[in-house]
Amino acid sequence: MNIKKQFKEGLITNNPVLVQLIGMCATMAITTTLFNGVGMGLSVLVILTCCNVVVSAIRKIIPDEIRLAIFVVVIAGFVTIVDLLLQAFIPALSAALGVFIPLIVVNCIIIGRAEAFCQKNTVGASFFDGIFQGLGYTCVLIVMCVVREFLGSGRFGGGLIDVTNGFRFTLDGTGGGIQIFPADYGASILNLPFGGFITLGCLIALMQFALKRSKKKKEEAEKAPQDEEKEVA
Amino acid sequence: MKKIPKLTFILFLICAITAGILGGINELTKDRIAEQNRLKTVKAYSAVLPADDYEEIPLTDALKAAYPSVDKVSRAANGSGYVVESTFSGAQGMITLAVGVNNSFKCTGISVISHSETSGLGANAASSSETGVNWRAQFLGADQNVALKKAGGTIDALAGATITSRTVTEATALSIRLVSELG
Repeated sequence: MNIKKQFKEGLITNNPVLVQLIGMCATMAITTTLFNGVGMGLSVLVILTCCNVVVSAIRKIIPDEIRLAIFVVVIAGFVTIVDLLLQAFIPALSAALGVFIPLIVVNCIIIGRAEAFCQKNTVGASFFDGIFQGLGYTCVLIVMCVVREFLGSGRFGGGLIDVTNGFRFTLDGTGGGIQIFPADYGASILNLPFGGFITLGCLIALMQFALKRSKKKKEEAEKAPQDEEKEVA
Repeated sequence: MKKIPKLTFILFLICAITAGILGGINELTKDRIAEQNRLKTVKAYSAVLPADDYEEIPLTDALKAAYPSVDKVSRAANGSGYVVESTFSGAQGMITLAVGVNNSFKCTGISVISHSETSGLGANAASSSETGVNWRAQFLGADQNVALKKAGGTIDALAGATITSRTVTEATALSIRLVSELG
């Protein structure tokens, strides 16, 4: 396991949402403004990295029979810590994400990585796995937010960017975003949960298309030199 | 059978460590969270009735029975009036609303604290967009007989959101009536 391969896996070839198809509930529910998407993505990234490190550090003393119970305790612990910290320091994000922060406990990405990766790998590898899988998740959320916000309400960067008094970043979620076209012309259907389904479906289709094509190209590239050799012979 | 005590012990140990850490974090963040919640209330309330602080006043049992949807009533510290917080059933879910009422029983503003109305339609009642701000401004100065135009009143319903508009209007009328009964 090298870092470069893990990076590629987390972001592209084994992306948690688009390829593993897990953790989709929150993905569809919260991706209505960029502020929510970035906040949720980073929260998951932090929790995932912490859980990965702890789970792989104690993997040798965990008896196999009760491993799931222990994973859940560890995950729930970190989720509660993040939840409390958000409530105390970024209340706007805590209010916007609502129940979806506590629900990270049952997010398949985290328990899935603990079960599939951290059980068998070193602390270092698990740490990078957490970061890259978390980044992969965050990227999907950001793409979903940008698409839904733009088509749904004609905006970019809602909550995170404020342009009323010059360009600045608002970390308290109060920014109105950049209005690209009037909100009344937006397809507000995309702000609703089923708009999330449609956007996610299109993204997954695109991803599968791209993955299949690059795989085909790779196979052809491997085949081509052999054919040439035959012709020469 | 030796295995079960061992498993129990390991699980107990991990739970105990987790609980200890969480207790510590809770102790560290407790005060800040309480302060943030107070600020949130003050912010929501000062949008409908400006004041530095608000003091919750207890309701009599008779008033509680007459106004079951009212969550709490607070008096502005500067004596300019009351803020009534109530929860009503809207088109999609519950709507929690703060209504400011001055001492002559006129509405000084309304603010939707939480809701799950349809985005682009009923959600405009809570939004900070021009539509939302203008719509809520209609309630300024309203008395306890405030009603939608359809019902013979003066309030324009939000386009495509009759139920949400009716709920908010009824909640406002009810809040003003409650304050007038407080005396």
